[in-house]
Amino acid sequence: MHRFATYLTVVCCAVCLSAFGQTSAPAAHNEVLIKNAVVMTVTHGNIKNGSVYIKDGKIAAVGANVTAPASATVVDAGGKYVTPGIIDSHSHIALDDDVNEATSPVTPQMMMIDAFDYQDKAIYRALAGGVTTSLLLHGSANMIGGQAIVIKHKYGLSRDAMMFPGAPRSIKFASGENPKRVYGGRDQIPSTRMGNFAVQREALVQAQDYMREWDDYNAKVQRGVEDAKRPKRDLKLEALADVLRGKLLVQIHCYRADEFLTEIAMAKEFGYKLRAFHHALEAYKVPDQIAAANVGIATFADWWGYKNEAWDAIPWNAVMAMRKGVIVAIKSDSEDFTRRLNQEAAKTIRYGGATEQEALKMITWNAAWIIGVEDRVGSIDTGKDADLVIWDGYPLSSYGVPDKVFIDGDVYFDRSLPGLGMTHYKEGE
Amino acid sequence: MKSRFLAALGMTILLCSVGLAQSKPVVLKGGKLLTITHGVIENGALVMINGKITAVGPAASVNVPAGAQVINVTGMTIYPGLIDSETNLGLTEISAENSTNDLLEPSDEIMPHMHVYDAFHAESELIPVARINGVTNAIVAPENRDTLPGQDSFIQLDGKSANEMLQVRDIAMPLNFTGEQRRNESFEKRKFPETRMGMAAQLRQAFLDAQDYDLHWAEYQKKKADYDNNKGEKKSAPSAPKHDLKSEALLPYLRGQKPIVLAAEGPSDLETAVNLAREFKLKFVLNHVSHSQPVLDYIATLKVPVIVGPIYEAPKPEERYDAIYSLPAQLYKRGVKIAFASFDAHNVRNLPYQAGYAVAFGLPYDEALKAVTLNPAEIWGVADRMGSLDVGKSANVVVANGDPLDIKTDVKQVYIGGNAIPMTSRQTRLRDEYSGK
Repeated sequence: MHRFATYLTVVCCAVCLSAFGQTSAPAAHNEVLIKNAVVMTVTHGNIKNGSVYIKDGKIAAVGANVTAPASATVVDAGGKYVTPGIIDSHSHIALDDDVNEATSPVTPQMMMIDAFDYQDKAIYRALAGGVTTSLLLHGSANMIGGQAIVIKHKYGLSRDAMMFPGAPRSIKFASGENPKRVYGGRDQIPSTRMGNFAVQREALVQAQDYMREWDDYNAKVQRGVEDAKRPKRDLKLEALADVLRGKLLVQIHCYRADEFLTEIAMAKEFGYKLRAFHHALEAYKVPDQIAAANVGIATFADWWGYKNEAWDAIPWNAVMAMRKGVIVAIKSDSEDFTRRLNQEAAKTIRYGGATEQEALKMITWNAAWIIGVEDRVGSIDTGKDADLVIWDGYPLSSYGVPDKVFIDGDVYFDRSLPGLGMTHYKEGE
Repeated sequence: MKSRFLAALGMTILLCSVGLAQSKPVVLKGGKLLTITHGVIENGALVMINGKITAVGPAASVNVPAGAQVINVTGMTIYPGLIDSETNLGLTEISAENSTNDLLEPSDEIMPHMHVYDAFHAESELIPVARINGVTNAIVAPENRDTLPGQDSFIQLDGKSANEMLQVRDIAMPLNFTGEQRRNESFEKRKFPETRMGMAAQLRQAFLDAQDYDLHWAEYQKKKADYDNNKGEKKSAPSAPKHDLKSEALLPYLRGQKPIVLAAEGPSDLETAVNLAREFKLKFVLNHVSHSQPVLDYIATLKVPVIVGPIYEAPKPEERYDAIYSLPAQLYKRGVKIAFASFDAHNVRNLPYQAGYAVAFGLPYDEALKAVTLNPAEIWGVADRMGSLDVGKSANVVVANGDPLDIKTDVKQVYIGGNAIPMTSRQTRLRDEYSGK
């Protein structure tokens, strides 16, 4: 009730004050030259005294000798570090209490866009920590959860302006303790890992039948059969059929080594591809099998012991898996960690001896790969989106703090500004 | 990079040969000493004998005792063991598994007679995980969902038994007034006190009851003394009041003998809790104050230390993103003595990074280091024993390959009471098992 009252107040303010929150469209993409920086490209090392030239929201040139037209706005980085925008490959921010449709263990028809609260300040706080892109996932109550959204942290713009254009669709699967606790607690199936996988298999079998019905129908229509009976559309099975057709990236919440192997086997049996295991705290036990299946992991740096399936977590997990060829991202799964993923990545230097570039890659390029946008973001390369962070202090340490964050070539956060430090958002005071 | 790694490896092997108990003097020679009390000594030497620090100074001026084991720590940084000012160590193993939790007695809100030492699990797998990152001492507190959840103990993260590790029992008592103690979890479950008014009234009653209890016993003692002195007269002996553990537990605090750890987040909770503490003349330190930015000057006037944060707490929607990151610096500027705490069990090892991040938001580096060493030692009354590299203090000493507050830094060896701690944990054993070592 109180929340609702607050919401009403906010809406009223928006009406009274045109300044509120909205959406002065980003300035026409001026050309920007960031110079005098240590450019950490992720894909081709560091460039000391380097420059990045941004044109039309894209990285137009990067290197030690970049020429830009005199018309370009010059940002002197003063010798500071510049990295790609940080990418969080597992987040639930801005979904409030609408993250888990925990009323059935199979809910692939849930769309996170329908829950997305684009005004949630958590988006801003992550931006201030250097995050420019996040994968917002359904919760882990269900073996098969809902469909994710990929956002750019353009806080202050409208909901749709925050969507990452053209990002592939992802769907959340889960396994292990959460589904069995949620449904087992209500004397429903699943209450065991046997039940978990039986539920998942049953849903996939139904989806196969559904897909076959539609394929038959479409074939009949194509052949000109006049009395072809159109099957009923079922949102749930349609979504799962898209999984089987390979149209969705499958992101599985999965902790234990045995469950990785079961999920890999099931995906092979039904012919769909897994994109990544999320959490994946026991990846170090079976890294070869995960690498061979070409599945990435999105894991914590050192979080452990919060439940039974996190008891064997070790902080060397990320690097041990990476050394065996697994694509590894460090993710937040938290409103808190997402604000300082650079520090979480730095832990892989300490635990296992990741190189600076490997550590940074775990919160940029590798995370982009898990989301399926690695051709667009995740490194400082010509042609990519100009999502960049200028850091005060060395980013892979306790002391790195973003000074300025660019998304698509525009500054969305500037630490030197008063108030919230926002450029596209104004308080409705 | 490679040569540094090999050098570090060499040192690990060297240190492994030290063995468990300190049987002979040990000299750490050649490292950079962060003494906390008297600056940084480059190329220093530190001598440990019988569990104590017996000499600290420039390597050239420190005498190596006869028969001492001299360990070359050139290139390493040496600093005192870190002190975590609030943890749940030894009270939990796996958070979601209730059978492993002894964190809180939720049946009543007033539980001052709970003693964490009665539950402290010395063999917890969490303790080695924390200490091999340099945390040697900690406050263990019950969870904060009662207003008076019980009394804290101060532990050392090494010892043969719980008795050895529990260095100070009942060192302080938390008084939590953050709102989380209200019994308003759901409509079905709500009961008294479901408001802050209820919490305050209940606390006041508990302290009044304890004062009455104290009076009754004092009267009884007086009557009994009279009776004992006049045995000839045929009066009946006075009967003793009933014992009440709750009231008894509050007495040392009502007498100002021990500190209350007063937890509040926002200004109104803080002022209510402080007024209550003053009403009963309680000695207190403050805890959290995470959303009290508008009243920092007021906090400074209280002249009490603050266990700050955690700084990772989310700001309120209207607050700037760094409102809490910068809180330690803001308090320091106003002359408030601060200490950091993990407020955690599994992640105690990350205590130094919180101090480091506070530096990034304006806290002077030396103050940040003090806030995990000397300041907590002073706040908890153990500064004569620890908190700095000084002669006479317990040899709780950390050897690391760099800045203690930076995430990249690797802790190479930890000494607790002069003992070289095995640099292993359940986690290192799993690592070694699965990397074929």
